Amino acid sequence: MFAGKRLSKELLKMKEHLPPGISIAKSENLEEWQMDIQVLDENPLYQNQVYRLKFTFSSKYPIEPPEVQFIELSSTSETPRPIPIHPHIYSNGIICLDLLSSAGWSPVQTVESVCMSIQSMLTANTRDERPPGDSDFVSYNRRRPRDINFFYDDDNV
Amino acid sequence: MSFELKEKGNQLFKEGDYSGAEELYSQAISKNPREPTFFTNRALTRIRLEKWADVEQDARAAISLYGSKNASSLKSCWYLAQALLGLQRPQEAYEVAIDAYRASLAAKNLQTENLSKAVLRAKQQIWAHKETARLREMNGTLASVEALIESDLNRALAELQEKLDREEIGQIGFIEDQKALREDAEKNTQNVRDAFRIASNGDIQERVVPDYLVDGITFEIMHDPVITPSGTSFDRIGIQKYVEQAGVDPITRASMTVNDLRPNYALKAACEEFLNKNGWAVDW
Repeated sequence: MFAGKRLSKELLKMKEHLPPGISIAKSENLEEWQMDIQVLDENPLYQNQVYRLKFTFSSKYPIEPPEVQFIELSSTSETPRPIPIHPHIYSNGIICLDLLSSAGWSPVQTVESVCMSIQSMLTANTRDERPPGDSDFVSYNRRRPRDINFFYDDDNV
Repeated sequence: MSFELKEKGNQLFKEGDYSGAEELYSQAISKNPREPTFFTNRALTRIRLEKWADVEQDARAAISLYGSKNASSLKSCWYLAQALLGLQRPQEAYEVAIDAYRASLAAKNLQTENLSKAVLRAKQQIWAHKETARLREMNGTLASVEALIESDLNRALAELQEKLDREEIGQIGFIEDQKALREDAEKNTQNVRDAFRIASNGDIQERVVPDYLVDGITFEIMHDPVITPSGTSFDRIGIQKYVEQAGVDPITRASMTVNDLRPNYALKAACEEFLNKNGWAVDW
Protein backbone atom coordinates (compact mmCIF):
# COMPACT_ATOMS: atom_id res chain seq x y z
CA MET A 1 0.00 0.00 0.00
CA PHE A 2 0.98 3.62 0.05
CA ALA A 3 1.64 4.17 3.80
CA GLY A 4 5.41 4.49 3.46
CA LYS A 5 5.37 7.00 0.66
CA ARG A 6 2.65 9.06 2.23
CA LEU A 7 4.45 9.19 5.61
CA SER A 8 7.76 10.20 4.07
CA LYS A 9 5.98 13.05 2.30
CA GLU A 10 4.27 14.14 5.51
CA LEU A 11 7.62 14.15 7.24
CA LEU A 12 9.21 16.21 4.48
CA LYS A 13 6.42 18.77 4.74
CA MET A 14 6.62 18.93 8.53
CA LYS A 15 10.37 19.44 8.43
CA GLU A 16 9.77 22.46 6.23
CA HIS A 17 7.08 23.98 8.37
CA LEU A 18 5.08 23.24 11.52
CA PRO A 19 2.55 25.37 13.40
CA PRO A 20 3.76 26.99 16.65
CA GLY A 21 3.82 24.70 19.68
CA ILE A 22 4.22 21.48 17.64
CA SER A 23 7.53 19.78 16.93
CA ILE A 24 8.92 16.42 15.87
CA ALA A 25 10.60 14.50 18.69
CA LYS A 26 11.32 11.18 16.97
CA SER A 27 10.79 9.99 13.40
CA GLU A 28 13.54 7.50 12.62
CA ASN A 29 11.24 4.94 11.05
CA LEU A 30 7.87 4.83 9.35
CA GLU A 31 6.11 2.78 12.04
CA GLU A 32 6.30 5.03 15.08
CA TRP A 33 6.77 8.77 15.52
CA GLN A 34 6.80 10.97 18.58
CA MET A 35 5.62 14.56 18.58
CA ASP A 36 5.96 17.26 21.24
CA ILE A 37 3.09 19.65 21.75
CA GLN A 38 2.63 22.74 23.87
CA VAL A 39 -0.38 24.86 24.73
CA LEU A 40 0.48 28.39 23.74
CA ASP A 41 -2.10 30.59 25.47
CA GLU A 42 -2.37 31.41 29.14
CA ASN A 43 -4.31 28.30 30.21
CA PRO A 44 -3.03 27.71 33.79
CA LEU A 45 -3.56 23.93 33.49
CA TYR A 46 -0.87 23.52 30.87
CA GLN A 47 1.45 26.49 31.24
CA ASN A 48 5.16 25.94 30.61
CA GLN A 49 4.65 22.26 29.95
CA VAL A 50 5.58 20.12 26.97
CA TYR A 51 3.68 16.90 26.27
CA ARG A 52 4.77 13.90 24.21
CA LEU A 53 2.44 12.15 21.75
CA LYS A 54 3.22 8.73 20.30
CA PHE A 55 1.88 7.87 16.81
CA THR A 56 1.85 4.24 15.68
CA PHE A 57 1.07 3.59 12.01
CA SER A 58 -0.21 0.40 10.42
CA SER A 59 0.42 -0.51 6.79
CA LYS A 60 -3.14 0.62 6.09
CA TYR A 61 -2.47 4.24 7.07
CA PRO A 62 -4.04 6.65 6.03
CA ILE A 63 -7.07 4.52 5.15
CA GLU A 64 -7.07 3.51 8.80
CA PRO A 65 -6.25 5.92 11.64
CA PRO A 66 -2.90 5.96 13.42
CA GLU A 67 -2.88 4.93 17.06
CA VAL A 68 -2.23 8.07 19.10
CA GLN A 69 -1.60 8.44 22.81
CA PHE A 70 0.34 10.54 25.27
CA ILE A 71 3.43 8.97 26.82
CA GLU A 72 5.12 9.93 30.07
CA LEU A 73 8.82 10.66 30.50
CA SER A 74 9.80 10.92 34.16
CA SER A 75 10.23 14.32 35.78
CA THR A 76 13.89 13.52 36.42
CA SER A 77 14.71 12.91 32.76
CA GLU A 78 16.29 15.59 30.59
CA THR A 79 13.01 16.10 28.81
CA PRO A 80 10.26 15.53 31.37
CA ARG A 81 6.89 14.84 29.71
CA PRO A 82 3.84 14.43 31.98
CA ILE A 83 0.38 13.24 30.88
CA PRO A 84 -1.82 16.35 30.56
CA ILE A 85 -4.86 16.60 32.80
CA HIS A 86 -8.09 16.59 30.78
CA PRO A 87 -11.54 15.01 31.17
CA HIS A 88 -10.90 12.99 27.96
CA ILE A 89 -7.35 11.89 28.67
CA TYR A 90 -6.78 8.92 30.97
CA SER A 91 -3.78 8.99 33.26
CA ASN A 92 -2.11 6.22 31.21
CA GLY A 93 -2.08 8.57 28.21
CA ILE A 94 -5.00 7.08 26.27
CA ILE A 95 -7.05 9.77 24.56
CA CYS A 96 -10.77 9.62 23.96
CA LEU A 97 -11.14 11.61 20.76
CA ASP A 98 -13.65 10.91 18.02
CA LEU A 99 -11.33 11.65 15.12
CA LEU A 100 -8.91 8.92 16.24
CA SER A 101 -11.53 6.17 16.07
CA SER A 102 -12.12 4.16 12.90
CA ALA A 103 -15.53 5.75 12.57
CA GLY A 104 -14.37 9.31 13.07
CA TRP A 105 -11.14 9.13 11.10
CA SER A 106 -10.72 10.59 7.65
CA PRO A 107 -7.74 9.87 5.39
CA VAL A 108 -7.33 13.57 4.70
CA GLN A 109 -6.21 14.03 8.31
CA THR A 110 -2.46 14.12 8.83
CA VAL A 111 -0.09 13.80 11.78
CA GLU A 112 0.07 17.58 11.79
CA SER A 113 -3.72 18.04 11.79
CA VAL A 114 -4.13 15.45 14.58
CA CYS A 115 -1.55 17.31 16.69
CA MET A 116 -3.42 20.56 16.07
CA SER A 117 -6.74 19.02 17.10
CA ILE A 118 -5.26 17.68 20.32
CA GLN A 119 -3.53 20.98 20.96
CA SER A 120 -6.81 22.86 20.64
CA MET A 121 -8.61 20.25 22.73
CA LEU A 122 -6.20 21.14 25.56
CA THR A 123 -6.36 24.88 24.91
CA ALA A 124 -10.14 24.93 25.23
CA ASN A 125 -10.26 22.88 28.43
CA THR A 126 -10.92 24.49 31.83
CA ARG A 127 -11.63 21.39 33.93
CA ASP A 128 -8.84 20.10 36.12
CA GLU A 129 -10.04 16.49 36.09
CA ARG A 130 -9.56 13.01 34.62
CA PRO A 131 -12.33 11.06 32.86
CA PRO A 132 -14.85 9.35 35.13
CA GLY A 133 -13.65 5.89 36.16
CA ASP A 134 -10.03 6.75 35.38
CA SER A 135 -8.37 4.64 38.07
CA ASP A 136 -10.47 1.55 37.16
CA PHE A 137 -9.80 2.00 33.47
CA VAL A 138 -6.08 2.44 33.99
CA SER A 139 -5.73 -0.63 36.21
CA TYR A 140 -7.94 -2.96 34.17
CA ASN A 141 -7.48 -1.89 30.57
CA ARG A 142 -5.22 -4.20 28.59
CA ARG A 143 -6.63 -3.33 25.21
CA ARG A 144 -4.98 -1.18 22.61
CA PRO A 145 -6.59 2.24 22.18
CA ARG A 146 -8.09 1.37 18.79
CA ASP A 147 -10.00 -1.59 20.22
CA ILE A 148 -11.75 0.43 22.89
CA ASN A 149 -15.30 1.55 22.22
CA PHE A 150 -15.53 4.96 23.73
CA PHE A 151 -18.85 6.67 24.19
CA TYR A 152 -18.54 10.15 22.82
CA ASP A 153 -21.29 11.35 25.11
CA ASP A 154 -19.91 14.76 25.83
CA ASP A 155 -19.13 17.04 22.92
CA ASN A 156 -18.63 20.17 24.94
CA VAL A 157 -15.07 19.63 26.03
CA MET B 1 5.07 -34.44 -14.15
CA SER B 2 5.44 -30.92 -15.54
CA PHE B 3 3.64 -29.57 -12.45
CA GLU B 4 6.18 -31.27 -10.21
CA LEU B 5 8.91 -29.39 -12.06
CA LYS B 6 7.02 -26.17 -11.44
CA GLU B 7 6.72 -26.97 -7.71
CA LYS B 8 10.46 -27.56 -7.52
CA GLY B 9 10.99 -24.33 -9.41
CA ASN B 10 8.83 -22.45 -6.90
CA GLN B 11 10.90 -23.92 -4.09
CA LEU B 12 14.15 -22.70 -5.64
CA PHE B 13 12.55 -19.31 -6.31
CA LYS B 14 11.68 -18.98 -2.61
CA GLU B 15 15.26 -19.83 -1.73
CA GLY B 16 16.49 -17.10 -4.07
CA ASP B 17 18.04 -19.45 -6.65
CA TYR B 18 16.53 -17.69 -9.65
CA SER B 19 18.74 -19.28 -12.32
CA GLY B 20 17.87 -22.75 -10.96
CA ALA B 21 14.18 -21.91 -10.87
CA GLU B 22 14.31 -20.55 -14.41
CA GLU B 23 15.82 -23.81 -15.63
CA LEU B 24 13.09 -25.91 -13.99
CA TYR B 25 10.29 -23.74 -15.37
CA SER B 26 11.88 -24.08 -18.82
CA GLN B 27 11.80 -27.87 -18.46
CA ALA B 28 8.16 -27.69 -17.39
CA ILE B 29 7.37 -25.57 -20.43
CA SER B 30 9.06 -27.97 -22.84
CA LYS B 31 6.91 -30.79 -21.40
CA ASN B 32 3.72 -28.73 -21.49
CA PRO B 33 3.79 -25.49 -23.49
CA ARG B 34 0.04 -24.85 -23.01
CA GLU B 35 0.12 -24.08 -19.28
CA PRO B 36 0.16 -20.27 -18.67
CA THR B 37 1.33 -20.40 -15.04
CA PHE B 38 4.66 -21.91 -16.16
CA PHE B 39 5.20 -18.80 -18.26
CA THR B 40 4.09 -16.35 -15.55
CA ASN B 41 6.37 -17.96 -13.00
CA ARG B 42 9.30 -17.95 -15.39
CA ALA B 43 8.55 -14.33 -16.25
CA LEU B 44 8.70 -13.34 -12.57
CA THR B 45 11.97 -15.24 -12.17
CA ARG B 46 13.40 -13.45 -15.17
CA ILE B 47 12.26 -10.11 -13.75
CA ARG B 48 14.45 -10.88 -10.75
CA LEU B 49 17.29 -11.70 -13.16
CA GLU B 50 16.50 -8.57 -15.17
CA LYS B 51 16.38 -10.54 -18.44
CA TRP B 52 13.90 -8.13 -19.91
CA ALA B 53 13.69 -9.49 -23.46
CA ASP B 54 12.89 -12.95 -22.07
CA VAL B 55 10.33 -11.51 -19.66
CA GLU B 56 8.60 -9.88 -22.60
CA GLN B 57 8.34 -13.21 -24.45
CA ASP B 58 7.07 -15.11 -21.42
CA ALA B 59 4.51 -12.45 -20.48
CA ARG B 60 3.20 -12.32 -24.04
CA ALA B 61 3.02 -16.12 -24.17
CA ALA B 62 1.04 -16.22 -20.90
CA ILE B 63 -1.33 -13.49 -22.06
CA SER B 64 -2.12 -15.31 -25.30
CA LEU B 65 -2.63 -18.63 -23.47
CA TYR B 66 -5.03 -17.00 -20.99
CA GLY B 67 -6.67 -14.93 -23.72
CA SER B 68 -6.25 -11.18 -23.41
CA LYS B 69 -9.85 -10.70 -22.24
CA ASN B 70 -9.28 -13.01 -19.27
CA ALA B 71 -8.69 -11.24 -15.94
CA SER B 72 -6.05 -13.86 -15.06
CA SER B 73 -3.84 -12.31 -17.72
CA LEU B 74 -3.63 -8.97 -15.88
CA LYS B 75 -0.68 -10.03 -13.79
CA SER B 76 1.19 -10.94 -16.96
CA CYS B 77 0.32 -7.51 -18.34
CA TRP B 78 2.02 -6.01 -15.30
CA TYR B 79 5.10 -8.17 -15.97
CA LEU B 80 5.01 -7.17 -19.62
CA ALA B 81 4.88 -3.47 -18.71
CA GLN B 82 7.91 -3.93 -16.44
CA ALA B 83 9.78 -5.72 -19.24
CA LEU B 84 9.03 -2.95 -21.73
CA LEU B 85 10.21 -0.36 -19.22
CA GLY B 86 13.39 -2.39 -18.71
CA LEU B 87 13.85 -2.46 -22.48
CA GLN B 88 13.44 1.33 -22.62
CA ARG B 89 10.22 1.12 -24.65
CA PRO B 90 8.03 3.35 -22.46
CA GLN B 91 5.36 4.16 -25.04
CA GLU B 92 4.50 0.48 -25.47
CA ALA B 93 4.72 -0.04 -21.71
CA TYR B 94 2.29 2.82 -21.21
CA GLU B 95 -0.24 1.37 -23.65
CA VAL B 96 -0.07 -2.10 -22.09
CA ALA B 97 -0.34 -0.69 -18.57
CA ILE B 98 -3.18 1.73 -19.18
CA ASP B 99 -5.35 -0.86 -20.98
CA ALA B 100 -4.68 -3.39 -18.23
CA TYR B 101 -5.35 -0.77 -15.55
CA ARG B 102 -8.80 -0.10 -17.00
CA ALA B 103 -9.60 -3.79 -17.34
CA SER B 104 -8.34 -4.46 -13.83
CA LEU B 105 -10.48 -1.67 -12.42
CA ALA B 106 -13.55 -3.05 -14.13
CA ALA B 107 -12.82 -6.59 -12.93
CA LYS B 108 -11.94 -5.39 -9.39
CA ASN B 109 -8.67 -7.26 -9.84
CA LEU B 110 -5.87 -7.13 -7.27
CA GLN B 111 -3.39 -5.85 -9.86
CA THR B 112 -4.99 -2.40 -10.09
CA GLU B 113 -2.55 -0.73 -7.70
CA ASN B 114 0.54 -2.23 -9.39
CA LEU B 115 -0.77 -1.29 -12.82
CA SER B 116 -1.50 2.23 -11.64
CA LYS B 117 2.14 2.54 -10.58
CA ALA B 118 3.32 1.09 -13.91
CA VAL B 119 1.32 3.74 -15.75
CA LEU B 120 3.09 6.48 -13.80
CA ARG B 121 6.51 4.88 -14.34
CA ALA B 122 5.89 4.68 -18.08
CA LYS B 123 4.83 8.32 -18.19
CA GLN B 124 7.98 9.26 -16.36
CA GLN B 125 10.18 7.36 -18.81
CA ILE B 126 8.39 8.89 -21.79
CA TRP B 127 9.07 12.29 -20.31
CA ALA B 128 12.72 11.45 -19.65
CA HIS B 129 13.22 10.50 -23.30
CA LYS B 130 11.58 13.71 -24.50
CA GLU B 131 13.54 15.77 -22.00
CA THR B 132 16.82 14.29 -23.24
CA ALA B 133 15.93 15.11 -26.83
CA ARG B 134 14.87 18.63 -25.88
CA LEU B 135 18.02 19.40 -23.89
CA ARG B 136 20.29 18.07 -26.61
CA GLU B 137 18.52 20.08 -29.25
CA MET B 138 18.91 23.20 -27.14
CA ASN B 139 22.63 22.80 -26.73
CA GLY B 140 24.99 21.11 -29.17
CA THR B 141 27.88 20.96 -26.72
CA LEU B 142 25.73 19.19 -24.15
CA ALA B 143 24.64 16.71 -26.82
CA SER B 144 28.21 15.81 -27.74
CA VAL B 145 29.31 15.45 -24.09
CA GLU B 146 26.34 13.21 -23.41
CA ALA B 147 27.09 11.19 -26.52
CA LEU B 148 30.60 10.60 -25.17
CA ILE B 149 29.25 9.35 -21.84
CA GLU B 150 26.85 7.10 -23.70
CA SER B 151 29.46 5.54 -25.99
CA ASP B 152 31.72 5.05 -22.98
CA LEU B 153 28.90 3.22 -21.25
CA ASN B 154 28.17 1.06 -24.28
CA ARG B 155 31.83 0.10 -24.60
CA ALA B 156 31.97 -0.90 -20.91
CA LEU B 157 28.74 -2.87 -21.24
CA ALA B 158 30.07 -4.72 -24.28
CA GLU B 159 33.24 -5.65 -22.38
CA LEU B 160 31.13 -6.92 -19.52
CA GLN B 161 29.04 -9.00 -21.90
CA GLU B 162 32.24 -10.56 -23.28
CA LYS B 163 33.37 -11.44 -19.78
CA LEU B 164 30.05 -13.15 -19.19
CA ASP B 165 30.32 -15.03 -22.50
CA ARG B 166 33.82 -16.21 -21.59
CA GLU B 167 32.33 -17.20 -18.21
CA GLU B 168 34.81 -15.08 -16.28
CA ILE B 169 31.89 -13.73 -14.25
CA GLY B 170 28.56 -15.22 -13.21
CA GLN B 171 25.05 -14.10 -14.10
CA ILE B 172 24.48 -12.33 -10.75
CA GLY B 173 27.78 -10.46 -10.90
CA PHE B 174 27.01 -9.48 -14.48
CA ILE B 175 23.68 -7.96 -13.46
CA GLU B 176 25.21 -6.08 -10.56
CA ASP B 177 28.09 -4.67 -12.63
CA GLN B 178 25.74 -3.74 -15.42
CA LYS B 179 23.55 -1.86 -12.99
CA ALA B 180 26.52 -0.04 -11.45
CA LEU B 181 27.79 1.04 -14.89
CA ARG B 182 24.35 2.37 -15.86
CA GLU B 183 24.00 4.24 -12.58
CA ASP B 184 27.44 5.80 -12.99
CA ALA B 185 26.63 6.97 -16.49
CA GLU B 186 23.30 8.35 -15.34
CA LYS B 187 25.00 10.29 -12.57
CA ASN B 188 27.57 11.70 -14.97
CA THR B 189 24.86 12.78 -17.36
CA GLN B 190 22.96 14.42 -14.53
CA ASN B 191 26.06 16.31 -13.37
CA VAL B 192 26.75 17.56 -16.86
CA ARG B 193 23.15 18.67 -17.24
CA ASP B 194 23.21 20.46 -13.92
CA ALA B 195 26.38 22.27 -14.91
CA PHE B 196 24.89 23.28 -18.25
CA ARG B 197 21.69 24.37 -16.62
CA ILE B 198 23.51 26.64 -14.19
CA ALA B 199 25.53 28.07 -17.06
CA SER B 200 22.42 28.73 -19.11
CA ASN B 201 21.49 31.93 -17.25
CA GLY B 202 18.33 31.48 -15.26
CA ASP B 203 16.84 28.68 -17.31
CA ILE B 204 16.67 26.75 -14.05
CA GLN B 205 13.08 25.71 -13.45
CA GLU B 206 11.79 25.48 -9.94
CA ARG B 207 10.47 22.00 -9.22
CA VAL B 208 7.17 22.39 -7.41
CA VAL B 209 4.02 20.29 -7.75
CA PRO B 210 0.92 22.45 -7.24
CA ASP B 211 -1.26 21.23 -4.35
CA TYR B 212 -4.37 20.95 -6.51
CA LEU B 213 -2.77 18.13 -8.51
CA VAL B 214 -1.81 16.17 -5.39
CA ASP B 215 -4.12 13.51 -3.96
CA GLY B 216 -5.06 14.18 -0.33
CA ILE B 217 -4.82 10.49 0.60
CA THR B 218 -1.70 9.10 -1.08
CA PHE B 219 -0.03 12.55 -1.39
CA GLU B 220 0.98 11.61 -4.93
CA ILE B 221 0.20 13.38 -8.15
CA MET B 222 -3.14 12.06 -9.47
CA HIS B 223 -3.38 10.04 -12.63
CA ASP B 224 -7.02 8.90 -12.44
CA PRO B 225 -8.80 11.60 -10.43
CA VAL B 226 -12.41 11.11 -9.35
CA ILE B 227 -14.73 13.54 -7.60
CA THR B 228 -16.92 12.86 -4.54
CA PRO B 229 -20.48 14.17 -4.12
CA SER B 230 -19.13 16.92 -1.87
CA GLY B 231 -16.91 18.14 -4.69
CA THR B 232 -13.41 17.09 -3.64
CA SER B 233 -11.20 15.15 -6.04
CA PHE B 234 -8.98 12.22 -5.10
CA ASP B 235 -6.96 9.67 -7.00
CA ARG B 236 -9.14 6.61 -7.56
CA ILE B 237 -6.88 4.06 -5.82
CA GLY B 238 -6.96 5.64 -2.36
CA ILE B 239 -10.50 6.97 -2.21
CA GLN B 240 -11.93 3.70 -3.49
CA LYS B 241 -10.21 1.76 -0.69
CA TYR B 242 -11.46 4.23 1.90
CA VAL B 243 -15.06 4.44 0.69
CA GLU B 244 -15.35 0.66 0.39
CA GLN B 245 -14.33 0.43 4.02
CA ALA B 246 -15.93 3.48 5.62
CA GLY B 247 -18.91 4.16 3.36
CA VAL B 248 -18.66 7.92 3.89
CA ASP B 249 -17.24 10.97 2.17
CA PRO B 250 -13.87 11.70 3.85
CA ILE B 251 -14.57 15.42 4.02
CA THR B 252 -18.24 15.66 5.00
CA ARG B 253 -18.79 12.17 6.46
CA ALA B 254 -22.05 12.01 4.50
CA SER B 255 -22.72 8.41 3.53
CA MET B 256 -21.73 7.44 0.00
CA THR B 257 -20.66 4.43 -2.06
CA VAL B 258 -17.98 3.80 -4.66
CA ASN B 259 -20.66 4.30 -7.33
CA ASP B 260 -20.99 7.95 -6.32
CA LEU B 261 -17.45 8.64 -7.54
CA ARG B 262 -17.31 10.36 -10.92
CA PRO B 263 -14.24 10.79 -13.10
CA ASN B 264 -12.89 14.33 -13.13
CA TYR B 265 -11.72 14.68 -16.73
CA ALA B 266 -10.62 18.31 -16.56
CA LEU B 267 -8.37 17.64 -13.58
CA LYS B 268 -7.08 14.52 -15.27
CA ALA B 269 -6.09 16.58 -18.29
CA ALA B 270 -4.38 19.11 -16.01
CA CYS B 271 -2.41 16.36 -14.24
CA GLU B 272 -1.44 14.82 -17.57
CA GLU B 273 -0.25 18.07 -18.99
CA PHE B 274 1.79 18.74 -15.88
CA LEU B 275 3.38 15.27 -15.99
CA ASN B 276 4.16 15.59 -19.68
CA LYS B 277 6.18 18.68 -18.92
CA ASN B 278 7.54 17.56 -15.56
CA GLY B 279 8.25 13.83 -15.54
CA TRP B 280 10.35 14.18 -12.37
CA ALA B 281 7.09 14.77 -10.50
CA VAL B 282 6.39 11.01 -10.47
CA ASP B 283 9.21 10.61 -7.97
CA TRP B 284 8.31 13.71 -6.05
